[in-house]
Amino acid sequence: MKQEIVRDERLGEEYLRVEHPSGLTMLLYPMKGFSTSFAMFSTKYGSTDTCFKTAEDEDFVSVPAGVAHYLEHKMFESEDGDAFERYAKTGASANAFTSFDKTSYLFAGSDQFRQSIEILLDFVTDPYFTPETVEKEQGIISQEIRMYDDDPGWRVMFNLLESLYQNNSVKIDIAGTTESIAKIDAPLLYRCYHTFYNLNNMLLTVAGNFEPSEVLEAADRILKKAEPFSVERKTVPEPLDVVRKRVVQHLPVATPMFYIGFKGPDHGERDNFCNMILDEMILDLVTGETTELYKGLYEDGLISGGIAGETMTGRDYLCSMISGESKDPDQVYERICAAFDRAKQDGIDKEEFARVKKSTYGRYLGLFSKPESIASAMTNCYFAGVDVYELVELVANCTQEQLEERLREDFDSERSSLSIVMA
Amino acid sequence: MSYPLVRERIADGVYFSSITDRKFKHNRMSVNLVVKLDREKVTDRAVVPFILRQGSKNWSDFTALNKKLCELYGASLDAGIDKLGEYQIIALGVIGVDSRFALEQEDMVRECAALLADILLEPDITNGKFNEKNTELEKQYLLETIDSEINDKRSYAMMRCKDIMCGDESCSIKKYGYREDALRITPQSAAQAYRELMRTVQIEIMFEGCGDPQPACEIFREQFSKIERQPETLVRCVPKQQHGPIRETVERMDVKQGKLVMGFRVEGMNSYEQMNAERLAVALFGGTGNSLLFKNVREKLSLCYYCAARYDRHTGIMMVDSGVEAENAEKARDEILHQLRLMQQGEFEEKDIEETKLFFKTALKATTDSLGAMDSWYLAQILGESRVSPDEEIELSNRVSREDMIAAANAIKLDTVYMLMPNEEQEKEGE
Repeated sequence: MKQEIVRDERLGEEYLRVEHPSGLTMLLYPMKGFSTSFAMFSTKYGSTDTCFKTAEDEDFVSVPAGVAHYLEHKMFESEDGDAFERYAKTGASANAFTSFDKTSYLFAGSDQFRQSIEILLDFVTDPYFTPETVEKEQGIISQEIRMYDDDPGWRVMFNLLESLYQNNSVKIDIAGTTESIAKIDAPLLYRCYHTFYNLNNMLLTVAGNFEPSEVLEAADRILKKAEPFSVERKTVPEPLDVVRKRVVQHLPVATPMFYIGFKGPDHGERDNFCNMILDEMILDLVTGETTELYKGLYEDGLISGGIAGETMTGRDYLCSMISGESKDPDQVYERICAAFDRAKQDGIDKEEFARVKKSTYGRYLGLFSKPESIASAMTNCYFAGVDVYELVELVANCTQEQLEERLREDFDSERSSLSIVMA
Repeated sequence: MSYPLVRERIADGVYFSSITDRKFKHNRMSVNLVVKLDREKVTDRAVVPFILRQGSKNWSDFTALNKKLCELYGASLDAGIDKLGEYQIIALGVIGVDSRFALEQEDMVRECAALLADILLEPDITNGKFNEKNTELEKQYLLETIDSEINDKRSYAMMRCKDIMCGDESCSIKKYGYREDALRITPQSAAQAYRELMRTVQIEIMFEGCGDPQPACEIFREQFSKIERQPETLVRCVPKQQHGPIRETVERMDVKQGKLVMGFRVEGMNSYEQMNAERLAVALFGGTGNSLLFKNVREKLSLCYYCAARYDRHTGIMMVDSGVEAENAEKARDEILHQLRLMQQGEFEEKDIEETKLFFKTALKATTDSLGAMDSWYLAQILGESRVSPDEEIELSNRVSREDMIAAANAIKLDTVYMLMPNEEQEKEGE
């Protein structure tokens, strides 16, 4: 077993990285003084992995939208009761979620950490479902899909992704549709499970109040050596152009909600992730609360509740989104595009750059203050091929020239779109 | 067990409370103006923190203020309105990294406290009027906030149920106020509301973090010494009892999923111990991923995606809410009541009790690992006139017996059933 201590001088902290003989990588971050622990067991398998090929397959196989999420629901079941019941005996609060590129199972606990980590490692590596139990879950998942159909905040974002992407499956709702999930059955779930729930394609992160030896002992007991992981995920070429510039959906909301998106070029997983950090600094520099743009929008009563910017990346996509509520989303969109165009012409102001660097540093420091946020950050970074401490360094060392390059590449008004949800 | 919160009076009706723990990397400070919900004044009061957040006399330019926050390593300055039982809480807060992590040796506690005190106590008021433009913009924002209550259908349905249930009680007064009153907000009326708040209400300043709270305490003490105060005593609310027939209401809207909300009164909670047992009982009933409602209504009968129970000790109300298909709503309602009856008859296992206590313990321990959760916990202790730390609450919970839980379940009485259902044409289309 390979073990390595990863240190950061700036924070004065360290964590343990373990390559377990089973093939699983574990990142263990004990935190002094904390009462709770947080563990996250993830597979690099999400809603966008709908077309893939294993060593045994002759050609790529396509599966219906929503399989990863369906599988997440069914994993909690086992022959002798479900995982929630098992966790109930340790007092841990358990949950799971599926995102575009991963599925994570997690718990937050205080006592009986050893038992909780055993349950986590055990149920995720031991699938059990029958045609009957799979069919029964359709009702619950349909309810979940309907709940999101009524959620204007969710709809306005997915309508934007549908506008930005022609082929990339990031535009498809994570849970799928009531039609697509009707095609999912037990054999399909088993097939996808055995393809992606391979320990070489998985990660365990733990942070907070625990002893690393407890995790290692549980792993030794429960995990069996996995086969080499050789799955090819199909990447459909994605043109740089967006599908449409504007989309409107009518739902009962008070003030129109908007999402504005800028589609950036794909540079591969790791670079997309690093570019995300830089792009979020650009969002602050161009649309943040210290900008003339923001002041203008606010003073003209166009964004009374403020606006939020975020960049989203994955294996083969990167886009930046600005969202908020406004009585005139078209006007906001126009001004935001103009602000990016102006920033490209004028370049980035030196003082502003220094300020944003400082506030971004403070924000990333915040990631290291809670077990939950450390475990999540380690997971996100690892799957992108980045070490969690690199985040702070990336911000501390970034240059104005780097940001200017990103500004030119990732914020092109021609490759942007506006999504509106209004009554 | 010692109570870790240190609370001292720093001016008439103004208290500074602090709790320090070196494990954190940040400090959090909040100023909470606590006042009984008042139908006439609630709206004017609700706009005040948002106008203050736009800038003070010394930081009259919003952009300059935000640049200052950026320089303080992205410290966040937030305004908000909360509601606790019958109280409206007007809050301003700041969270910043500790000086240990400042790259240029800034004194972060002092800087953040001074900024917060300035925003609160040096408002941009001239000749008895708030800055006109800021008032107009924040008035619009308040109107939008009031109107946007329909956006989230889950919370909207809960709110409608509570409206119907508590009609004329002050706990049903809306924390952001009312549209017709918001339309009447002027720079004078808001400034008057601010002045009255600063003169008369109880003010609770909270500090949680890893830094030394003393410099912050001194800054607030000095600033408040310049203010003339005539604080009014807060009167604690008494929860109402269920009376009269059960109210049932169905409303329709353009939604795909229906919502079922049931409001219950919890009666006869005379001590903190009883209240604690009630919390456990409600968690066992519908507050955990292994509760009776989750196991039966969702898992066994697949009637819904969520079905949860929540108990608010400050109002003595328990709410059960669920997202259901229209055709399953009656079935879900009957099953929820059936589960409650079973619990009242003691039809639950010893292991359910033990597991709920463990679940509770984890949630309480998690409180001590989060600055925000500690802020809410201790403010609720102060306003509920109790002095129980999360660790002591765990001790109390461990002493709760099966009989206590049954008694707690029997204190729950159904009052109101509310359903938000898809429009009838839509239902037909879906068939």
